[in-house]
Amino acid sequence: MAAEQFAMIDPAGYKAIGAGIAVGLAGIATGIAEKDIGSAAVGAMAENESLFGKGLILTVIPETIVIFGLVVALIVGA
Amino acid sequence: MHLFSKLRRKSGGENLRTSNYSYVTARVRAMKSKLLPADTYSKLLNMGIDEITRTIEELEYKQDIDVLARQYSGADLIEHALNRNLAVTFTKVLNMAEGEPNYLLSKYLKRYDVWSLKTILRGKHYNASPDKIEENIISAGKYSFDFLSDLANKDSYTDVISALENTEYYSILKQYDGTNLSDIENELEKEYYKDLFISVSKLKSKNSRIFAEFVGAEIDIKNLRTLFRLKMSGIEPEEIRKLMIEGGHRVKMKDIESLLPLSFDEFLSAVDKYSYWYNFSDVVSSEMESLIDLETQLLKQNVKFASSISHVYPLSIVPIMDYILNKKIEVDNLRIIIRGKSAGLDKEVIRKQLVI
Repeated sequence: MAAEQFAMIDPAGYKAIGAGIAVGLAGIATGIAEKDIGSAAVGAMAENESLFGKGLILTVIPETIVIFGLVVALIVGA
Repeated sequence: MHLFSKLRRKSGGENLRTSNYSYVTARVRAMKSKLLPADTYSKLLNMGIDEITRTIEELEYKQDIDVLARQYSGADLIEHALNRNLAVTFTKVLNMAEGEPNYLLSKYLKRYDVWSLKTILRGKHYNASPDKIEENIISAGKYSFDFLSDLANKDSYTDVISALENTEYYSILKQYDGTNLSDIENELEKEYYKDLFISVSKLKSKNSRIFAEFVGAEIDIKNLRTLFRLKMSGIEPEEIRKLMIEGGHRVKMKDIESLLPLSFDEFLSAVDKYSYWYNFSDVVSSEMESLIDLETQLLKQNVKFASSISHVYPLSIVPIMDYILNKKIEVDNLRIIIRGKSAGLDKEVIRKQLVI
């Protein structure tokens, strides 16, 4: 009975769930990583405005993590 | 942001588990980069008072000088501006911090309350004018400048003490009878450190441990300085013991107990064994006449210690303490230069006093 139900679910559904988890977790990880960098960048900028460029670049570096997640999601989904 | 933290404080009280170290340390590091570089002091030493005033006006102290220029002039103006800047800067750092760092800093900065109270009492003791007392008040702690200057304008020390009736210092202050000023000052100082250690030990976090270490290192230097000064002038061990502060980081109370009964020469050879020694062995000898070299060396040691552990713990309370220490030293250095210059001291004499 259980095995039947299991077989009834479309495999594409599992793919979609997997892709969702990949992007979702990677997004949360990026958020956690950017939290401290971003607040530090704002802190430094408050004292010295010329640090805006550097701060911005450093803040978006963890963005790579979510790109990895996105790539995995695309591969899984394809 | 200020409004936010105010609202939060109102709604749920201070939450000590939250912190914003990344924001505060980055901002404080940016502020530290604006402190005067070492070579500026040599330039300042070559200038006259007017030039120094003008140079300081162009630095971070501009706003303070502008505000106070109507009331004061010359060296007094600089002195007031430096004190005001110190108070404003420390209050700014305190307001930036949230949660744990705010708690630790506010406890640490209470030293300026103690300092100002001591200054006011001493001023009253020697019948100094309120203006003179105000000159030395630094309102970087909990008490505002207005409150402290109100105290300084009271007629006698009894009025000052009764105005402080509802504060934590009252139990010590009420013992003051007009003669035991130095005892009261020591008690205030000791009480401050005791309170600091008690409030730090409540936290039990990594930061509070490093903070306690930092304060311990500061106490070491205070104790060593007192020991050297008093040993040199041959004060009785019992008298010295009263002045020692507990809680040193490397020089513990039992080490101090063993150093107390020694004579100055024996004391020097005993201090030789401590790891601190190699840092100032070249400025200490049994023939030395002045302790200025040693004291600046001890302070430099403290700064070095702070900056080295601030690299070990980049996201902690230490970079903030490191900044506070460096800012304090900058203000002290500028004050030494301006006071030294206005007293007509020789350049080299002033340079020896500076902590660079």
